[in-house]
Amino acid sequence: MITQVALAIRHLRKHKFYTFINIFGLATGIAACLLLFRLVYFEMRFDMFHKNADRIARIITEERDPSGGLNLTSGSALPAQDMIQNTVSHFEQFARVRSNGMQVTAGQGTPLERKLNAEETAVYAESSFFRIFDWKWLAGNPDEVLKTPGTVVLARNIADKLYGSWANAVGKTLLLDNKTPLIVQGVVENAPPNSDFQIEVFVSYETFKADKSLFGYNPNWGSSSSNDHVYVLLKNKLDFGAAEALLARVGQEEYRNTNSKKIHKLQPLSDLHFNSDLDTISDHTINKSRLFILSLIGLLVLAMACFNFINLATAMVVNRSKEVGVRKSLGGQRGHLIRQFMSETVVIVTFAAITGALFAYLLSPLLKKISAVPDDLPFLSNPAVWVFLLVVIVLVSVLSGLYPAFVMARFDPVAALKNNLNTRSIGGISLRKLLVLAQFTIAQALIISTLVALSQMNFLRNLELGYQPELVYNVWVSPDSAYIGKYETFKQRLKQLPGVESVSFSSDVPGSFNTWSGNFAFGLGSDDAPFGTSFKFIDEDYFETYGLKLVAGRELTQSDTVREAVVNETLLKRLGINNPQEAIGKEMRIGRDNWIPVVGVAADFKTSSAHEETQPMSMFSRKSTYFVTGIRMDPPSMTKTVENIKTVFEETFPDQVFDGQYYDEYIAEFYEDENRFSSFCQGFSLLAILISCLGLLGLASLMATQKTKEIGVRKVLGASVAGITGLLVKDFLKLVLVAIVIASPLAYLFMEDWLSDFVYRTPIHWWVFLLAGLLSAGVALLTVGFQSVRAAIADPVKSLRSE
Amino acid sequence: MLELKDIERCYTNGSSKTYVLRYVTANIQEGEFVSIMGPSGSGKSTLLHILGMLDAPTAGAYNFLGEPVHTFNERKRAELYQQYIGFVFQAYHLIDDLTVYENLEAPLMYKKVPAQERKSRIADMLDRFNIVAKKDLFPEQLSGGQQQLVGIARALIGRPKLILADEPTGNLQSQQAHEIMDIFQKLNREDGVTIIQVTHSEENARYGNRILNLKDGQLQA
Ligand SMILES: Nc1ncnc2c1ncn2[C@@H]1O[C@H](COP(=O)(O)OP(=O)(O)OP(=O)(O)O)[C@@H](O)[C@H]1O
Ligand SMILES: [Mg+2]
Repeated sequence: MITQVALAIRHLRKHKFYTFINIFGLATGIAACLLLFRLVYFEMRFDMFHKNADRIARIITEERDPSGGLNLTSGSALPAQDMIQNTVSHFEQFARVRSNGMQVTAGQGTPLERKLNAEETAVYAESSFFRIFDWKWLAGNPDEVLKTPGTVVLARNIADKLYGSWANAVGKTLLLDNKTPLIVQGVVENAPPNSDFQIEVFVSYETFKADKSLFGYNPNWGSSSSNDHVYVLLKNKLDFGAAEALLARVGQEEYRNTNSKKIHKLQPLSDLHFNSDLDTISDHTINKSRLFILSLIGLLVLAMACFNFINLATAMVVNRSKEVGVRKSLGGQRGHLIRQFMSETVVIVTFAAITGALFAYLLSPLLKKISAVPDDLPFLSNPAVWVFLLVVIVLVSVLSGLYPAFVMARFDPVAALKNNLNTRSIGGISLRKLLVLAQFTIAQALIISTLVALSQMNFLRNLELGYQPELVYNVWVSPDSAYIGKYETFKQRLKQLPGVESVSFSSDVPGSFNTWSGNFAFGLGSDDAPFGTSFKFIDEDYFETYGLKLVAGRELTQSDTVREAVVNETLLKRLGINNPQEAIGKEMRIGRDNWIPVVGVAADFKTSSAHEETQPMSMFSRKSTYFVTGIRMDPPSMTKTVENIKTVFEETFPDQVFDGQYYDEYIAEFYEDENRFSSFCQGFSLLAILISCLGLLGLASLMATQKTKEIGVRKVLGASVAGITGLLVKDFLKLVLVAIVIASPLAYLFMEDWLSDFVYRTPIHWWVFLLAGLLSAGVALLTVGFQSVRAAIADPVKSLRSE
Repeated sequence: MLELKDIERCYTNGSSKTYVLRYVTANIQEGEFVSIMGPSGSGKSTLLHILGMLDAPTAGAYNFLGEPVHTFNERKRAELYQQYIGFVFQAYHLIDDLTVYENLEAPLMYKKVPAQERKSRIADMLDRFNIVAKKDLFPEQLSGGQQQLVGIARALIGRPKLILADEPTGNLQSQQAHEIMDIFQKLNREDGVTIIQVTHSEENARYGNRILNLKDGQLQA
């Protein structure tokens, strides 16, 4: 065994070039595969660590809208939650969790230093939450906490931040939204990274119920916020169906009265991370099909690396035929020979796996470009990674070593001894062609996908939005009675800053993730329109600040309440009104509100991302729902201006946490997923091309050495360098062309599917295929051509003499 | 021990057939020392390969130790190579990746000879053929004659009962050639080893007790 490995290493050192190509190619493939494995493993195992994971579910709401579409909401109406708790008997535990913007303040120092914005990660939760999910308790008793108003449990990092060390936290008081005192009852360890419950502050649900008006408790059946979650622990995991049957009956009468078709369902915990139609508390979901594609591409890249190995090994067989013949005449059996060649393979693959793990380690930062994994994603500390590496070594050794080993061991000894074997007579030449073909097909498909993804990203960058986000900075404000009085001061002080052009308050930015919508009627006394309208509340400076355009009428005038309306072109078109001028002066109303006049028609702008159609939109003024400040700035010195904005904010709202962002960064978040996909394609098409070319390089050089004599003779007979090069290159080029023909339609279908997610999208241009083809043909030509020319210009006398 | 009956070996090249061996019938008894002679291209090596079961006749019957060779499977043949036959190739055919020492060791490994005994046998062979100093060199670092010596040593080291040698002394100086022939003769006389050698030299042929003459693929009476 040891001697076999030593022999194998000696053989590999003797053929350094092929060994290098093999190890480097396999290592690259293994590295890519390993990176994706870590990603997929991480994503696949979200929240599976909870002891009762298979019995945990969330109650969701499914609504059928008038046009027949299904809308899913991760929350449910508050009265429905009460009814469910009282009527469905299959739940062992029932926990309301409300995630809502909050701010907590505590600790020492100036008010500004003590503030902590826990907006993203603070929830109101019922005590039972901790009996459904497993949290590691550092302090406090899980059975006792969160039972009364004014209590809170903190996660370790926030307790450390507020009190220096979590050990000091219990018994301390902190302030919720600068008003309500909360006593710290316990500290839990931070949620592990593979959890969708990255919660740092658990305020008792009783706190929320104790001051319903302050926290916006909504007792209506008609509203259902995606923030009002209910998690349940079923008594028996087989009860899902029975529980859902009971759930389906809840609130049916009430919903009919509010004119909506809603039904409640259970979403198993195992679905939470993979269902992008429903929010989670941490807001990070990923489709299983995406994970499948990632895994598939990882495996394909690894397969490509194996193909290289097989190709080179079978091509090298010729050089080893004599050895096989002699060993057989000395009594070596097929088994011996297979073992010998396999140990060479295992040595190569093991080296490659080690190198690959190193590559993967070095390339880990790139994972962030293609996914939402945390920085400290475990690597070698994860036993699954070791198992994976081991499986890869075994699998790759078997897949790539076995075939060449069998080919060699099968040799007829005399033919082998006489060196009468050539690449042709061994067979396998068609296999080799097939494998090269497969490699180039994969590479080609990836290149096409990359080009299409890039051209869509470019399309999105140049998409006519109908508004101008580039120079706008947004600051979030709170229309709370304590602060709303300072809005005007804030606006005036901002306007006086150098570099600020205009300032506007509104409920939302023009193109946004959020939608706020409802029924409306158009034309005094008419019934509700058969479709809803989105709405935004905006002040008189909105159009100027965001660069919106009017096509008829005028903008809204200054008003703190709803007085008049501006609608968009889409709304009119859907109503059948073709001349915007006709709409001016007509009356409209939202829900059962007052009738108000339409004073203007806005040119259409993209109301959300390019994934969605522009919505019918109505805009009104109403100060009490202005959540966001838009500030248009002058291009130079924007960073300085933003600093000034921050200062003004903190002086105006001393106990509010500053929360600001460039608007175009916000818009970039629309396409985070697509950007990741595009980076992924870029990375992996490069990889695919690299691996294919390594294989070609090896094959071409082998072919060139094996044909040295033939080339020498041909040259003596008068063949030109170009002629000989052409002879060698022709075969490979043919393969690349066939690969283009196979890959193009596949990539086309795949990318059409990808693009179908967009309402606004680029067509797939024919030149994409041409460009991709030229690219891979070019690279192949370079690789093979280099070797071929070298062979072709070699001195013929030398090559003949050496024979 | 070896019975050949109407052995024929031909190559087809396109539509034309060339016979390399034809109507070869011979019997070789255990303990014989046979020399095969004939001009270049007459089929000597081919015959030796067939005798050694490295090549198969296209027609005719060949019995090895009384059993028809075509019924042997791979394992049976490998066993015979390990236990019974030693080969000396015309073109030496040492394994390029292995040192002289390892080339000698290879057949013993297949034969599963224990490590200690391997060592002493190899030392013995190196000594006998005067190549102790070369034991760690690779074949490409040896002269043609030295390679031939290693090839012979490798054939003898497994203590075979049948030695098939294809011009074993073709590259050796005549003094060395005599020494090799002496060794062969000694093995043949004292240990009863059956030897079949191909040779061009009348002198070497005289060491044996029988000569088979090949011409154009046929045995001459
Ligand atoms: N693969 C093959 N295809 C066609 N003919 C072959 C092949 N191999 C050998 N021959 C022919 O078989 C004949 C006998 O070859 P062999 O090697 O047995 O000759 P030899 O008697 O050993 O000659 P030498 O004394 O030169 O070693 C030769 O004429 C050769 O051309
Ligand atoms: Mg010969």
